[in-house]
Amino acid sequence: MNDVAAGLGLAVGATIADARARHPDLAVEPHDPAADHALLVAVADACDRFTPLVALDPPDGVMLDITGCAHLFGGEAALARGVAGLAATRGLSARVALADTPGCAFAVARHGRAGGAPLVVPPGGQREALLRLPLAALRLAPERVAALAAVGLTHVADVIDLPRASVAARFDGLLDRLDAALGHLHTPITPRRPMPDLMTEQSLAEPVMLERDVLSTIERLAGRLARVLENRGEGARKLEAALFRTDGRVFRIAVGTGAPVRDPERIARLFADRLAVGEPCDPGFGYDLVRLSALATEPAGPVQTGLDANAADTVALDHLIDRLGVRFGARRVTRQVPQDTHVPESCCAALPAQARPRPVLPAAAEAEFLVDGLGPERPLRLLERPEPVEAVAEVPDGPPVRFRWRRVLHEVAAAEGPERLALPWWCTADAPPPTRDYFRVETRLGVRLWLFREGLYGRETPRPRWFLHGLFG
Amino acid sequence: MAEPPPAPGEVLRALRQRVAALEAHRPLGTGPLGTAEAALPLGAPALDRSLGGGLALGALHEVAPATALHLGAAAGFVLALAARAMRAGGGEVLWIQPDLAGREAGRLYGPGLDLAGLPLARVIDLRVPHERDAAWAMEEALPCRALAAVVGEFFDDRALDLTTLRRLSLAAARHGRAGGLGLMLRHHAGAAASPAVTRFEIAAAPGPRDPFGGLGRPTVHVSLVRNRRGPTGCWLLSWNHHEHVFLAAPSLALAPTALDRPHRASPPAPLGRTG
Repeated sequence: MNDVAAGLGLAVGATIADARARHPDLAVEPHDPAADHALLVAVADACDRFTPLVALDPPDGVMLDITGCAHLFGGEAALARGVAGLAATRGLSARVALADTPGCAFAVARHGRAGGAPLVVPPGGQREALLRLPLAALRLAPERVAALAAVGLTHVADVIDLPRASVAARFDGLLDRLDAALGHLHTPITPRRPMPDLMTEQSLAEPVMLERDVLSTIERLAGRLARVLENRGEGARKLEAALFRTDGRVFRIAVGTGAPVRDPERIARLFADRLAVGEPCDPGFGYDLVRLSALATEPAGPVQTGLDANAADTVALDHLIDRLGVRFGARRVTRQVPQDTHVPESCCAALPAQARPRPVLPAAAEAEFLVDGLGPERPLRLLERPEPVEAVAEVPDGPPVRFRWRRVLHEVAAAEGPERLALPWWCTADAPPPTRDYFRVETRLGVRLWLFREGLYGRETPRPRWFLHGLFG
Repeated sequence: MAEPPPAPGEVLRALRQRVAALEAHRPLGTGPLGTAEAALPLGAPALDRSLGGGLALGALHEVAPATALHLGAAAGFVLALAARAMRAGGGEVLWIQPDLAGREAGRLYGPGLDLAGLPLARVIDLRVPHERDAAWAMEEALPCRALAAVVGEFFDDRALDLTTLRRLSLAAARHGRAGGLGLMLRHHAGAAASPAVTRFEIAAAPGPRDPFGGLGRPTVHVSLVRNRRGPTGCWLLSWNHHEHVFLAAPSLALAPTALDRPHRASPPAPLGRTG
C-alpha cells in the first residue's frame, strides 16, 4: 500500500472487494514476499557503504550500526541525509531515523513525525523522543498493544513512569522492550555479514569504470592493508573486494589463498585473475567506492627475501597455486592423496592443493612396488567410469583372449591376473556389488590395458560382463 | 672511405645469428651468457646424441601417440620425462588436463603415477574446463622456479594456434633456474607447424616379461619426428621407473607369444563368450 492509497483512506487488512468498491480504478498487485525480500537485501547492500554492520529487519527495515562511522560522512545528520538520499535516487520512499539504540531508532523511524527529512535523536534523547509515540512503537505484538489499550495505556508516556514491579508482574516483556529502547539494556544488532578482520576503502570523487583503474585502486588499498597486517604480524587468507556502483549495486569478489599473503602486487594479481573469469561486473556509470576487506587472517612472520632460494621458490609455487585456484576454482587444483581403501576408484582422493595435503604412502607398499623389472600394477590413467567391452575369455576365471573396445578388436598377447577385488558389500543394504577380477593385459601391439570381469562366473552371475578401466603407460 | 666489405662467410654467420635470435632459440650447444646449454640427459645414449646431449631445458617439447590407441604409452613417456626432470633438478610437476581429455582418455590415476616413478607428494593436478585454459595455465606456470616440469594435455588442437605455441615456448625460456621443461601431450598426432624444439611420436611395443613371467617394464617405440637441434630417429626404449632412466630395449617384435607360460602349459580350458 503506498502513500497515495493511504491518503484515500484505505487501510491494511481491508478486503480488495471493499477497496475496489470505494475506488474502482485501484491498481492491485499480488503480494510477493520474495521480491520484497530481494529489494530489502538490495537496499542493505547499498547501505554497506556506510558501515560494515548492516542488519536486515524484515519485513521492511534495515538496521545500520554506525558506531565509529559517522565522522567519515560529516556527522550523524549528514550520514542520515546520505542514507535518505541513497533511497531517493533509487525511487524508494524511506523513513530514516538515527538514535542511540536500535529500539529507539525503530520506534522513531516507524512512528515518528511523518515527512521526508531524516530524524536524528540527539545522544541521550531517547526518553523525550519516545514519550509521544504509541506503544506499538516498542515492537509489541498487536494483541499485547490491544490488551494495554484496554486498560487505558496507549502511549509510551503512559507506561514509562509506572512502578516497574507492577508493570513487570502484569505485562511480561514490556519492560525489556522499554529498557532496550531507552538504552538500559544492551541489544546488539545481528549483521548480515561477519565483521571482517581488517577493512580499508577508497571513495572516488570520479567514478571509475575501467578494470585497470579498479585493479590499481585495489592494489593501493592492498598496500594500506599490508602495512597494518605487517604491524600485526599477520597475512590474509581470504580477501574480498566490494565494488559499489554509483546506483547502489554492489559487486563482491572474493579470493582465497593457500598461505597468508600481504604483498599488494600478489593480492592485486589474484583479483585480476578473478575478474578475468568471474561473472562479469557491469560497471554501469562507474564505481564510486572500492572496499578491500581481509575476511580471514593468520599469523605470518616477516619474510626475509633473497637469502634462501628454496623459500622463494615455495612462495612462488604457493602464489601460482593461488592464482590457478582463483581462476579455475580451488577444487580443480589438487594433489592426490592415497586413501585407506582398495576400491580402485577411491583409493586416491584429490584434495585442494591450497589446503596443503601431505600424501603419505605406506613404506611397505613402496618397497613392494620397487622390485626391479616388474611392470607397474596400477594404470597411469583411470577412465571416469569403466567402459563395457565385448570379451572372449576362458571360463570360469581365465584372462580375456580377445576383446573389442571402442570398436577396435584387440588380441591379447599376455595377461596377468586375476586380482580379485570385492567391492565394499558391507556398505550396501541390498544385494552386494559383484566381485571384480582385474587383469593387466598386453595386446599384440604392445598396448597395456586394465580390464576387469564383473561378477564371478557361476556363483554370482551366469554371464559376467567385462569392462575396461584403465590405461597403462 | 668506405669500410671493406666483410667476407661472405661473416655475413652468413651474422645472418644466422640474427635468425637464431629472432627464433629465440640459441645455436646448438650454447646457452644464455655463452654457457653450455642446459640439457636433461635421458639415459639412452643414442637418443641423447640425437638431442645434442639431452632434452633441452627452457624449451617446449611435444609428445603425441602414433595413433589414439597408444595414448597410454605417450602419457607414460611424458611422465618418464617429467620424473627424470624432477630427479635431476628437484621441484614439483604440474600436470594440466582439460576436462575433455580426462573424459575421453581417463583421468590421471595417483597410484599409477606413483608406481611409474613420479612421487604423488610432488605432483599438482590441475583440471581445466577447456584447452584454451590449459594453454593459459601452462604459460603462467612455465616460468615458476619451483616446477621441474609442466605437462599440458591437449585433446582438441584447435586452441593451439602458432601464437599460443610461441608464447608457450617463450614462457618456458623465462624459467628462473636452468630452465623449465614444457611438455605437451597432444592426444592426436598432427603435422602442424610448431615452435616446439622436439616432437616425439610414441607407440607402445611388446615389452619384456618380468622374472616371474608376468608383464615387465613398459616398452615404447619412440620416434623423434622433429628435432630442431639434430637428426631425427627411432628407438625402442623401456623405462626403468626405479632408477628413473631410459634403457635401450631389445626388440621383441618377432618373439613368439609366451605359450610356455605355466598356466598355458595345461590343456587349454574351454573358451566362453562372456559379455
